[in-house]
Amino acid sequence: MATNRLVVKEEVAVFASVLFDSANGAGGQEAVLQVREQMAEVIRLMRSDLDLTMALSNPDFTPEARRALVENVFAECHLAFREVLAVMAERGQADLLPRVNDEFRALLGERLGICVVDVTTAVPLDDGLRQLITEKAEADLGKKAVLRERIDRSILGGIIMDVDGNYIDASMISQLNRARNVLKDTTDGGEC
Amino acid sequence: MHVKTRANKAVARAAFGALALNAAFPALAFASEEESGGLSAILPDMAEFIPMLIAFIILWIILAKFGWPMFAGMLEKRENTIREALKKSEEAQIESERVLAEYQQQLADAKTQSAQIIADARAVGEAVKADITAQAQTEAADMIAKAKAAIEAEKKAAVAELQSSIADTSVDVAARLIGEDLTEGEHRAIIERYVKEAGSFNGN
Repeated sequence: MATNRLVVKEEVAVFASVLFDSANGAGGQEAVLQVREQMAEVIRLMRSDLDLTMALSNPDFTPEARRALVENVFAECHLAFREVLAVMAERGQADLLPRVNDEFRALLGERLGICVVDVTTAVPLDDGLRQLITEKAEADLGKKAVLRERIDRSILGGIIMDVDGNYIDASMISQLNRARNVLKDTTDGGEC
Repeated sequence: MHVKTRANKAVARAAFGALALNAAFPALAFASEEESGGLSAILPDMAEFIPMLIAFIILWIILAKFGWPMFAGMLEKRENTIREALKKSEEAQIESERVLAEYQQQLADAKTQSAQIIADARAVGEAVKADITAQAQTEAADMIAKAKAAIEAEKKAAVAELQSSIADTSVDVAARLIGEDLTEGEHRAIIERYVKEAGSFNGN
């Protein structure tokens, strides 16, 4: 079993490396970041759609059928990502995609020397805010920071910053929820 | 033994009397015959007197040998019977007195026991009464405590529900105000302040 784990680990590393090299060769840093975002979206989709996940690894389907499924479902994705995912599906290893994602993100720092900061706000950032956030991330992490912005009205206001799972949640919705919990949990001893 | 001795003495005295009388009357007869010829008519003839005397002696010997011992034995037996009866009656009297005393003692004990039983029963009754009273008071106190706890819990639940409702309403109102009333500039100002106040990505 230890051997199998090592083999799988090596396979994950190979998938991530090939994906990174393909994207980087095709479009440089921007393509790499695009693949990173698409891969995160696909992982979220696979976690929410078990039928899709099982179909991508189902041995009852032929490898060709699984490849065709990937090419049809993820036709909008970057070519490099779609090809690697198709190969994984052919081999019945689509369930390794979250580990490939982790390895791919590690390669960003190793090979490009950057850290990607996913920023979620309710309104678009201006250049001043981008500069402020970039300087903060670079000061904290010691690497060149690249912002990936996303607009989400549901957070009401404020900002959510995510660097490979390290969250700084300063959104309005989170603060209101904390205030709501404090109001609910606060008791005055039962006296009105 | 005492009776036998007395019987022997009585036989001896009777025999001696008989001999003395027989010995006296011939003398008197001979004297009278000498003094007057008519006395011979009432005096025994020696030819008859001697055999009679011998017969009497033989009779006396037989009676002394066989009759008196039997008579003495009967008397002794009778005496023993009476003595045994007296002894038994005395024993019976002593026994009856003992039994009577025992009955009286038992009666006294029974009276004492009955008094003790009544006292115990009274004490037990008092104890049971006290227990029942205490138990009733405890149960009543428990019921009151449970009722108070239930009321308090319901009161707290109502307060918590009201508090929750107020919190939800307040937060919803605040969210709506923030979402509708803040301009983009105000949003960006808030973002800038939050970024400056936020902690490090390294968690320091």
